[in-house]
Amino acid sequence: MPLDFALIAHQESWKAAADVLSVLRGPGLPPILDLDLRELFAWIPPRTVCRVELTSSLGHSVQGVYIDAFIPPDRLGYEFRQENIARVRAAAAYAIKEGAKIVSLGGFSSILIEGDSALLPDAGDTVFTTGNTLTVSLIVQGILAMCAAQGRELREATLLIVGASGDVGSGCARCLAPLVKRVVLNARALDRLNTLAGELRSGGAEVEVSVDLQQLSNQADIVICVASLESPSLLLKQLRPNAIVCDAGYPKNLSPAAGDEDCTLFFGGLGQVTGGMRFEPDVHRVLHHHPFPNIAQGCMLEGMVLALEGRFEPFSHGRGFITPERVHEMGAIAARHGVQLAPFHNANGAVQEALHTTQEQTR
Amino acid sequence: MELVTKLNPDSAQATLDPTAPIWQDVLAQAVTGELIAVLNYTSLAGICEDPEEIAEALEHAEGEQGHARAFTAEGKKLGIDVPSNVNAKYWKRLRASFLRCVEERDFIACLIVQEVMLESFAVASYRRVGEVAPGSLGRTFAAIAAEEEDHIDHSIAILRAERERDRAAFDEKLHGLHLEVMTTIAEMFAREDKDGHCELCHGACVKQSLPVVGLTMGELRGVAMQHYLKTLDLLGVPGEVTLMWVAQLPL
Ligand SMILES: NC(=O)C1=CN([C@@H]2O[C@H](COP(=O)(O)OP(=O)(O)OC[C@H]3O[C@@H](n4cnc5c(N)ncnc54)[C@H](OP(=O)(O)O)[C@@H]3O)[C@@H](O)[C@H]2O)C=CC1
Ligand SMILES: [Fe+2]
Ligand SMILES: [Fe+2]
Repeated sequence: MPLDFALIAHQESWKAAADVLSVLRGPGLPPILDLDLRELFAWIPPRTVCRVELTSSLGHSVQGVYIDAFIPPDRLGYEFRQENIARVRAAAAYAIKEGAKIVSLGGFSSILIEGDSALLPDAGDTVFTTGNTLTVSLIVQGILAMCAAQGRELREATLLIVGASGDVGSGCARCLAPLVKRVVLNARALDRLNTLAGELRSGGAEVEVSVDLQQLSNQADIVICVASLESPSLLLKQLRPNAIVCDAGYPKNLSPAAGDEDCTLFFGGLGQVTGGMRFEPDVHRVLHHHPFPNIAQGCMLEGMVLALEGRFEPFSHGRGFITPERVHEMGAIAARHGVQLAPFHNANGAVQEALHTTQEQTR
Repeated sequence: MELVTKLNPDSAQATLDPTAPIWQDVLAQAVTGELIAVLNYTSLAGICEDPEEIAEALEHAEGEQGHARAFTAEGKKLGIDVPSNVNAKYWKRLRASFLRCVEERDFIACLIVQEVMLESFAVASYRRVGEVAPGSLGRTFAAIAAEEEDHIDHSIAILRAERERDRAAFDEKLHGLHLEVMTTIAEMFAREDKDGHCELCHGACVKQSLPVVGLTMGELRGVAMQHYLKTLDLLGVPGEVTLMWVAQLPL
């Protein structure tokens, strides 16, 4: 039976992994011990966890599967790269075998293969997308909506992008650099940052580059965090009061200890499906710990909205090719099917958009 | 490192390598598993009608007997006697499950229990033991793992065809057997024996000592579960179904 789409995913924490298995175990059984979970998880071959149905606001639906690559949440690091690539390849082979027409490479799965579908098994009629164009679209929409809600002048703002030389980071930079006063690009390797900076400057933007995050963070009015970190470990010291911070990392970039600034912190790159999503078995509430219904990551949603649109093509591929035009096009496709920016929220729940009201919640 | 009895210079007496008692327990499980397979294939021959199938089942029984002999011989090389006990707690339960299928003259159920469940675990754990066990002991485990794998292929083809005839009925039968047999296997592979001694290890349970020879119980049950899931994939059972089955085992 051909499938419209498949999502290749992995869990961002052991807690999330345990929650998924608990749902599958059902209410009658005691939860799996942490020790057993950590011992067995990595041995599970990639497979479907649940079937997914997504409905367009135009009325029609598409069917797909959510495939977990079973990457142990504490083994996302570079030293496990080879074994994780093997897992992503196996998950991709599984998606192909299931007959998926389009596959979204969620979270780290596209990072591991650097968006290069040549690294994947022979795909036949299956196409792969990293999903990063819709991710960028949703991050940008979030920044614009939050600034509008808080009455901020984007033209006066300094924007800091952490992970700027990455696929998502560079896409965000290309979209937002023309709209802000100044962009500060951060990552660990200077050369790729300089290349991007050159490109943005030639478009007329004021750009600064630095590998020292702490040196720059006090200059930013708006921060986008899209570094590929294995765990929420980033500390942002000395943020400007009232800074807007969008954490779109998966796993999250910002350490829970980093949230005690007077800033508005929200999770970005997330969309809401107004037509609704159905999961069988119903693992939805544990896959997405969001205070709102029908939320999913942009990277996952991209394959689904392309399926709704009947455009089975590798819309996002490779690294560093995301342009404002493509972001606009993808945002329009998503909007046509009722996939819109998710309501603002962070780990503590909903985030009020108006200035200052978030301060109670982020504490 | 070739593992043989060493001469102790102080006492001038032959003493066992300190890992020998661990291999003794590992081999006891392997030999008992092989003897159970001998019994199972012999019982299976009794319910086959096609002479070719009968011959094949008896040939398998013969092969498993050879495996048991090979493992026993490896014990000898280490200077140990390898005990076996087909009535040891878990093995007895596994044999009883198989016999129920025989009583019902259910050839397909027999294949599922022996080839999908028991052999899956044999292949995966032998292969892993084969990687760490020294010298000819390791080679024997690896070679037998390969042989077991070979004869599984044929049964998989039969089972796949059977599933194609009626998926729902096949999956229901498979799930029933999974609940019974895999629960026993999961308890056998659990970190500790919840209801006491396995009745096969010569002293305290070998599970705790496995790290001395480069094995862990966690890894063995990991590879075994992985092999089982992959075998179910080959049968065509949907991944989300088998994942749920495995998640629901006693862990
Ligand atoms: N919300 C969503 O829907 C989605 C979220 N994501 C997440 O976005 C993030 C980025 O993805 P993607 O752009 O594809 O990844 P890439 O691998 O293309 O880029 C990662 C970027 O992070 C930088 N980086 C890595 N480590 C650090 C560090 N310690 N400090 C600063 N920068 C660092 C890298 O540069 P350098 O190596 O030089 O430091 C690079 O610029 C990931 O967390 C991913 O999971 C992705 C898709 C969808
Ligand atoms: Fe055997
Ligand atoms: Fe066998």
